[in-house]
Amino acid sequence: MRILHVGTDSFGGYGGIALYNRELISAMASHPSVDEVVVVPRIIVGALEPIPEKVTFVTTAARGMLAYLNALRDARESFDLGRDLIVCAHVNLLPIVRMIAKRPLLMIYGIEAWKPLRDPLSNRLLRNVRGVVSISDVTLDRFNGWSRYDGPSLLLPNSIRAEWYGIRPKNRNLVARYGLEGKRVLMTLGRVVAAERYKGFDEVLEVLPDLDGDISYLIAGGGNDIPRLKRKADTLGVSDRVVFTGLFPEEEKTDLYNLADVYVMPSRGEGFGFVFLEAMACGVPVIASRLDGGREAVRQGQLGRLVDPTNRMEIRMAIRDALDAGPKRIPEGLGYFSYAEFERRTHAIIDALAANA
Amino acid sequence: MCGIAALFSYRSAAPAVDRDEIEAITERMRPRGPDAGGTWISPDSRVALGARRLAIIDLTDEGTQPMTDVDGELRIVFNGEIYNYRELRARLERLGARFHSTTDTEVLLQLYRHDGANMVELLRGMFAFAIWDPRARRMFVARDPYGIKPLYIADDGQTFRAASTVKALLAGGRVGRARDLAGVAGFWLMGSVPEPHTIFESIRAVEAGTSLFVDERGIHDVRRHYSIAATLLRGAHDVAAARLVHPPTLLRELVTDSLRHHLVSDVPVGAFLSSGIDSSALVALATEANGQPLRTVTLRFEEFLGRESDEAPLAERFARQLESDHVTRLVTRDEFNADLPKLFDAMDQPTIDGTNTWFVSKAAAERGLKVSISGLGGDELFGSYPSFRDLPRIVRTARLPFASAAASRLARSPKATAMGRYGGTWAGAYLLKRGLFLPEDLPALMGAPEAREGLERLAMIDHIGATNDPDPGTPFGRVAALEASLYMRNQLLRDTDWASMAHSLEVRTPLVDATLLRQIAPLLMVEKQRCKRHFAESPGTPLPAWLAGRKKTGFSVPLAEWMQLRPDGTSTRMRSWARMVMERWS
Repeated sequence: MRILHVGTDSFGGYGGIALYNRELISAMASHPSVDEVVVVPRIIVGALEPIPEKVTFVTTAARGMLAYLNALRDARESFDLGRDLIVCAHVNLLPIVRMIAKRPLLMIYGIEAWKPLRDPLSNRLLRNVRGVVSISDVTLDRFNGWSRYDGPSLLLPNSIRAEWYGIRPKNRNLVARYGLEGKRVLMTLGRVVAAERYKGFDEVLEVLPDLDGDISYLIAGGGNDIPRLKRKADTLGVSDRVVFTGLFPEEEKTDLYNLADVYVMPSRGEGFGFVFLEAMACGVPVIASRLDGGREAVRQGQLGRLVDPTNRMEIRMAIRDALDAGPKRIPEGLGYFSYAEFERRTHAIIDALAANA
Repeated sequence: MCGIAALFSYRSAAPAVDRDEIEAITERMRPRGPDAGGTWISPDSRVALGARRLAIIDLTDEGTQPMTDVDGELRIVFNGEIYNYRELRARLERLGARFHSTTDTEVLLQLYRHDGANMVELLRGMFAFAIWDPRARRMFVARDPYGIKPLYIADDGQTFRAASTVKALLAGGRVGRARDLAGVAGFWLMGSVPEPHTIFESIRAVEAGTSLFVDERGIHDVRRHYSIAATLLRGAHDVAAARLVHPPTLLRELVTDSLRHHLVSDVPVGAFLSSGIDSSALVALATEANGQPLRTVTLRFEEFLGRESDEAPLAERFARQLESDHVTRLVTRDEFNADLPKLFDAMDQPTIDGTNTWFVSKAAAERGLKVSISGLGGDELFGSYPSFRDLPRIVRTARLPFASAAASRLARSPKATAMGRYGGTWAGAYLLKRGLFLPEDLPALMGAPEAREGLERLAMIDHIGATNDPDPGTPFGRVAALEASLYMRNQLLRDTDWASMAHSLEVRTPLVDATLLRQIAPLLMVEKQRCKRHFAESPGTPLPAWLAGRKKTGFSVPLAEWMQLRPDGTSTRMRSWARMVMERWS
């Protein structure tokens, strides 16, 4: 079997979907029955990671829309649509993918699949996909809710390479840079943009005045909503306890997580919440939301604490409990999200699709 | 679900608590809790607790109240259900708490020990309780956010008394029976007594969503832990999250979560089913959440046969579609007349409502149900009362120059002529819209000096206005806060409590849920009245058009026909019924 992966970004990309695609492509390529995975990326913005064996990465596709379409057309000609698998790795690409394959496998992640698409054509095309693979139950339920899709549905949650992280002492340079000496630190990592005011930054800020004075809040990430959050912190009288890192280098990420005593993100818009896995891989106790995919990242409360993001008292008590919880440790159950498990699930999906072909 | 009572002789000069009094109060509430009962008096005779129990969760004797914690120190009497008690218990166990039962009642004790008064903000459910803390020598008393469960108190400056009903407090024999003119005026204005007033001067309601402490200083630290208006305002600021998800899907998710919590029970849970959208969608979602059909009940009245207000045919058709174990219960005028003395005896305070719930609860109890879910609250949540349309119009019109004067001259209805006096504010417009009588009618009903005093103390416009503080910011939010904080709280929920408890039935209201409101408020602020349509689409199989498109009729009984009520020049049928209630209620 050959697989054509049509996505936005993967190797040489930033962010959650790019990372997920890299893991997916690697896992697909390692399936014994897969002869080749051809990857057609829409964009490449950074240095390419090592390309796995059996993967053909069509870098020319990222040169522009015309190049992308040409690359797709060329790739499609070498595929046997009766036997091979075409993966549409983003719902927004469905109209394009449908030009080359009638029944692609659709990948869905988060908010892009939670309500009807702007393009009515895409909404109609959904009915005939070969299957839907979702990063989480919440995304699948919300997708099914509006699309009334009733074909094969499969789950493939994020994976974490825990060996890339680990519990480390707090980095002194970072502690000094952010003024966190002697502080207990709450942390949220994510884009701080006005269009995504559902990450939970506001909720944590609002409980900060009711927490002990030695507790600081580290907001890791850049974005245009930082000035508003700074004003809010000022109004709440906690501006001296809130630290904004702005954009930070990727290589500092593990040290940033290790600054935290609690990772808290009472959000309402996460399809899954890979950041929870990263924080847990650093031994940081996590507090996730009951109302989005965060609950699946902490396995319904088995790996971390769940809160209702609309209940300030619940957030406050969860933070208090987590700070009192004792030394940091990596949850044993985190292995559920190991790359080995991800690979096994990916292979099972390929087998199931082959059996139904 | 229970009836609870507490006495606390908090001043040293106060006489010791009286066993006869706590037993009489508790006994008056026997129908609320037929399964068991008990009282406890502290060794120094300064505190007494009493409870009647309707066993729903943990049917063993371990659930008997008054209950003590595992150390035998804290004691509680509790009326209601804590739907998230399992999650709370799991957290407390991780923190080292120990339990001797599997009840939600005991979770409250450990939560109080761990989080103090903050505990109430962690609860999802309907509740009224009193916890005696002997070490601090204080009593902690709290009531749920919407006021689903009642709690009344009498404080004579020496002894604090609390019970689930006004009549139970009176049954103890130590509380005065002088009428509260503010409460009486409130009844004539609204058709029910607005809390915190009651019909008796010595008795006050613990307001919905508040908690308080009582110790040797008396009542103090009265704290509001939930505000409907503030929740709606917050929703208006948080709309980004609501815009992420397809509205019917989000509604389905949040209401199903509420339902799953409301279905927690160790006895079977049934449902009231009308032919309206709220109860139909709720039963459909509950059937999905439950994994099997529910037992459902619909009322039918001979007087409504062949009319739009006959809900039975469509309810039966929908019940067949859901494969519910359904019963239509016919209620006749003879049955109503036979039940009327019992109904007035159970009616805790005068009200023009509750007859519908009396009979549907009776029907559910006849089916062997102890618990039933109800679609109550859907109209307040989804904005389907005419008031959501009319109030903004009244306010807009009354603020137009000369509009009030023109209305006073041209209109025949007393309410229309009063538009100039009341219509220019949201509170006044609400009084006009929902009012049974207007303030100027009261001297004829209760005497001029009494009406003057009652209205002055009641300060109804200020009282109504306070439910919109903070201002929810939009017309929809304002009306939603007014309806939920006034009509629903003082009438629908209170009447549901006494009318269902009289039949030892616990009514659960998944759409009246503080957690649900917090979660759904952003969506309400974005979608407003469209939410009703979204709710009809939210079940796995959306409600059929013949049901979703049906004209709204409300859950009514043919009182006018039964009581031969006739409107006259100044009085509507409901006004006639109110006069009758005031005469016959005791």
